Amino acid sequence: MASPQQLPIADDLFLTAHDSVKGKSLLTPATLGLGLAGALLAELILWRRVDVVDGKILIIDDRPTGDPATTAVLDQLLREGHHRAVREWISFLATGVASDLVERRLARAGLVQRQEKRGLLGTKVSFVPADSMVAGWPATRIRTYLGRGEMLDVPDLVLAGLILATGLDQHVFITLGTRGRAQLSDQFRRRLPAMLQELVGHAEAAVGDAVMARRA
Amino acid sequence: MATTATQPPQSQLSTALARDRLGVAAVVFFVMSAAAPLTVVAGVVPTGLAVTGLTAISIAYIAVAISLAIFAVGYVAMARHIANAGAFYAYISRGIGRPVGVGASWVALAAYSMFQVASYGAFGFFAKPLFADWFGFDAPWWALSLVVWALTAVLGVRDVAVNGKVLATLLVAEIVVVFAFSFADIFSPNFSASSAPLDLGSLFGPGAGALLALALTGFVGFEQSVVFSEESRDPRRTVPRATYISIALIALLYGFAAWSMISAAGGDVVGRAGAEQGELFFNVASDQLGSAALHVGHALFLTSLIAAMISFHNIISRYMFSLGREGVLFRAFGRTVPGTGAPKNGSLAQSVFGLIVIVLYAVAGWDPLVQLFFWGGAGGGVGVLLLITLTSIAVIGYFARNPAGEDVWHRIGAPVLGSIMLLGMTFLAFSNIDVLFGVAPGSTVAWAVPLAFGVLTVAGVGWGLILRAGRPDVYAGIGLGARSATTGGFSAALAADPEDAR
Repeated sequence: MASPQQLPIADDLFLTAHDSVKGKSLLTPATLGLGLAGALLAELILWRRVDVVDGKILIIDDRPTGDPATTAVLDQLLREGHHRAVREWISFLATGVASDLVERRLARAGLVQRQEKRGLLGTKVSFVPADSMVAGWPATRIRTYLGRGEMLDVPDLVLAGLILATGLDQHVFITLGTRGRAQLSDQFRRRLPAMLQELVGHAEAAVGDAVMARRA
Repeated sequence: MATTATQPPQSQLSTALARDRLGVAAVVFFVMSAAAPLTVVAGVVPTGLAVTGLTAISIAYIAVAISLAIFAVGYVAMARHIANAGAFYAYISRGIGRPVGVGASWVALAAYSMFQVASYGAFGFFAKPLFADWFGFDAPWWALSLVVWALTAVLGVRDVAVNGKVLATLLVAEIVVVFAFSFADIFSPNFSASSAPLDLGSLFGPGAGALLALALTGFVGFEQSVVFSEESRDPRRTVPRATYISIALIALLYGFAAWSMISAAGGDVVGRAGAEQGELFFNVASDQLGSAALHVGHALFLTSLIAAMISFHNIISRYMFSLGREGVLFRAFGRTVPGTGAPKNGSLAQSVFGLIVIVLYAVAGWDPLVQLFFWGGAGGGVGVLLLITLTSIAVIGYFARNPAGEDVWHRIGAPVLGSIMLLGMTFLAFSNIDVLFGVAPGSTVAWAVPLAFGVLTVAGVGWGLILRAGRPDVYAGIGLGARSATTGGFSAALAADPEDAR
């Protein structure tokens, strides 16, 4: 591939959410956190470390993944064995844990830069994509594949699902026509494993929950 | 792995999630801000006296509070078992049936929207003389209504939640003002303790239904307490306590304020209410309090109205968001502004409706006080009464099929008792609707409002049945709201309807 390589799902979601002129997040911190939480859990499913069944997380393999971000989540899951509900974990990881892990992973790869903004009430630290081309790539890749009628791989299907779940599609899927959307919907049904369908569904419900309780 | 203990000494997950949990006070504040004390005491009560000519309002507050407290027993119990608590139609969908639930959701949208436009009318009417007095600025009522309409619309679509501390401060100030003015009434030279507001016999006389419906409008908003079932520190205790405290506080505050106002107003309180309108509450206490207190009271009256309209706007746009997520309304209503999380399309639809109503009233020259504020509020109150009654029956139905986890009093005792009381109230309210609106029996408004609710219910049931036949996936999700893992843009795409995914 001549284009930038495919990153872990959560990194791609973070970049997609920051695909704006100044690198500012298109989502509220709460909604982005919920999306990233879902993405990290999806990565653990794809690492074959956990399963999601009936709203519960089951650990099937406790070996580290070799990637610090997902290993940190796995460690936490192991430590807090009495908490199993996916929704609880999504809520917990969304309190800043997921954003923090993903920002660090992206910073290590040199894909985001720390930005400090001095305001009236102290300094605000944020991470912005180092290269806006890279930030736009994941969504472009999905649109291109769908436009050509080609199959997305499973991580990109999860990413597309989380883009819909967080409402990011209003920014990055605008140009996707009826055909592209039908394509996507068809691939969700036929190619996304049930476990990941359920997980993205929970992430979407958590976003809806936040809107209802005025936390979004 | 070395951990054998079931509960490790410190769970980061529990600690992090507990930090955001709400206590009783936070939930009470939230509920009371929708109830808007000064709007009721200075707006609804005097206008109600003038329109209906009925004075036994304090006892009506107490009677309604008792019925609602009994209703709340089953209501908060069922909230622990269902998703999307806080929306009456969620209860009705689960307890009676999904088609009736759809009908109920439409009635709820209509009723809350009536409260919303009522508050626009009230602001225009009450602010007009005050703005003329304070700033020498004499604008027509509808211009002032449009200003607050625009404010609500902008805040709604940007979802700027008015800061919780600001709301709480305003609310406390309002309550202090209501009590201060009410105690001042007692020391006024005209005061003679009146038994009319507490006349129990009136609750069985002609016009009883109008009194009860009028009193009920003051409590609307209490049903929102269960929205926080999942957010509260202890779902089994926080939400029930907050609900009972809110109901008791509202009854005490409004009952006492109405009693002291009527007692201090002299012989002809109904006549004075008609002549002095929104000023009655302030006038009867004015000789005891300085002009500064009056200005503060007036200013808080206006902020109370604004708080109420923002609160209803939020309730309505989130209702539409839930329904859009489920696919019961257009999916577009299930969208939010990504950068703010505001339920944008519900908010916009609501604002368009508000604008049409204000313009219609301005062009037609209708009365913003009686025909918009009072009729809107009273009509909305009747709608909510209908919803509460259906919900109470739904609670019985739900626990008959899912009895686990609750005792007999929560499952059957309180819901049956509450349903009987509420059915009685609903029957009386609909049979006294002409008294409530202050019109001759058979007048247009007296049959149009019940008819509108009837048509909405029937149409909603019809739509529910169409969904059952044609869209079983949507039908299955009715009442589950935005919190369910089966609603939303991704789920719609997964459920395979390209038209819906748009």
